[in-house]
Amino acid sequence: MNNINLEKEQQLAETLSLDFTRLEARVVRSKRVEAVLSSNDIIPSVLLFAKDKLGYIHFSHMSCVDWLEEGEFEVVYILWNPEEKINLLIKVRTKRENPTLPNIDYIWRQANTYEREIREMFGIEFPGLVAAKEFILEDWQDIPPMRRDFETKEYVDEHYFHRPGREDAKDVREEIANRSGEEIPEFAKKFSRK
Amino acid sequence: MREETTTIYLGPQHPGITGNMMVKLQVKGDTVVKAETHVGYLHRGFEKLMERRNWLQSFTIVCRICVPEPDPNEENYSRAVEEIEGREVPERAKYIRVMVLELARIASYLLWYGGQNGSAGLYTMGQWSVGDRNYILDLFEELTGGRVYHMYIWPGGVRRDLPEGFADKVLKTMDYLEKRLDEYDKLMFENSIFQQRAQGVGIIDPAKAVEWGVVGPPLRGCGIQSDVRKDDPYEVYDKLDFEVPKIEGKSDVWARALVRRFEIRESIKIIRQVIEKMPAGEVYNKVPNPMKWIVPKGDAFVKTESARGEFAYYMVSDGSDKPRRVHVKGPAYVHGVSLLENLLVGENIADVSFIMNSLGTCPPEIER
Repeated sequence: MNNINLEKEQQLAETLSLDFTRLEARVVRSKRVEAVLSSNDIIPSVLLFAKDKLGYIHFSHMSCVDWLEEGEFEVVYILWNPEEKINLLIKVRTKRENPTLPNIDYIWRQANTYEREIREMFGIEFPGLVAAKEFILEDWQDIPPMRRDFETKEYVDEHYFHRPGREDAKDVREEIANRSGEEIPEFAKKFSRK
Repeated sequence: MREETTTIYLGPQHPGITGNMMVKLQVKGDTVVKAETHVGYLHRGFEKLMERRNWLQSFTIVCRICVPEPDPNEENYSRAVEEIEGREVPERAKYIRVMVLELARIASYLLWYGGQNGSAGLYTMGQWSVGDRNYILDLFEELTGGRVYHMYIWPGGVRRDLPEGFADKVLKTMDYLEKRLDEYDKLMFENSIFQQRAQGVGIIDPAKAVEWGVVGPPLRGCGIQSDVRKDDPYEVYDKLDFEVPKIEGKSDVWARALVRRFEIRESIKIIRQVIEKMPAGEVYNKVPNPMKWIVPKGDAFVKTESARGEFAYYMVSDGSDKPRRVHVKGPAYVHGVSLLENLLVGENIADVSFIMNSLGTCPPEIER
């Protein structure tokens, strides 16, 4: 695997690093190059540069990761060059308090769907987003549900009720053991219904 | 006189819709003037569920994301974990994975035959192809224990080796299917009703297709030879001989049907090669105790060519026993929302579900 030619990937990383000072690019593996931006303002210019000058015309994916412990969201834009056949991952970080990122749906129209979902699921605002309305969730009042501090269990206990009729549910293994007079081994007792 | 538009809600419960989603149509007479996709009827929160489950528990739910073709999900999940971990997969397992993925592709295309013709009112085709799909599901049942959801391709390899005599059964099924495909042609592609319905409908601008995020058969229907299996080869696809169709035509529903007609035959070709070239050996590079399995910090972006196009996973690990983030992107995320909304404008209302089927719109991928 070591003799794979990474020339194209290295060239791309160098081009990006030279053109943008607040950008650090590295080759991850063959066909994958990663660029980390230290400033959010340059997102549209980096994306437009990649699209118009470098041939990264296909917008593959856009994702968001909540780094709760670090107080930041990480957003990644993934582009594809059909000529060079390389995926370019562009990563940015934004603070968790009032997170805002530049809107890019005028560059790729399908980015609109991704941004609508991230806005809804993580609460990141994209000023100028077209059709900035609910996408998957309906009448959602709570904090955005894909954030790490959203407690699913608490939410369920608050909004739904447990199905009745399970108060006298029995432990199947204990029932069988009682009937046949066998004993459940000590190590397996921790799995019994409390 | 002012021309009025009427609002029509196609779905979420409608025989013409391809799952639990809704397309809100503004029509003037018979012509669609505005279309808007509404999803949210099928949101099961897979990505949130995976944050609370360990690596092996998460694996068991990924195949549920897509009913017609669950295997690309297993493949993506496994390959993403393997990439972060740096885990090697035995050569034999790679061949078996390709065989399973191609069988799944054929099964998915056979289901599409039914859907595409059903939305044109040609129901016989669906009875035939879905009937034949059952022979592939029988193979899956013998191999994995499950007909639809397999949980067979897992991190480190595949769950078990092929049963005795299984390869012969696969080859026999392929021989049978190959004969049947010629009969399908007579029923579908030589049928003048289908030809008239499909030609000149749902045209995607080939010059804009890549930029609009079109992938898979709809993109190849535009005459662009783009296939993840060739462009970003995974498993052993670079060692196999198969062709990507070059379709010349109008990038309409007809062109997309021709792509699938071509590819189902290529898949049969691939399966025959895989069985011929498959080496002997191990099929599983064992992972540690699943309850204590830690995956090192890192991220991976992996892609698989599914029957509907590029299926991608972006996975992030924070070095714990649970995934930090698994983001699933199915082809329908673009095809079913931004592309569909733009493509339907100006089309006849009777062609809406016909076009949706040709794009392979699948709501479980949009909302997961």
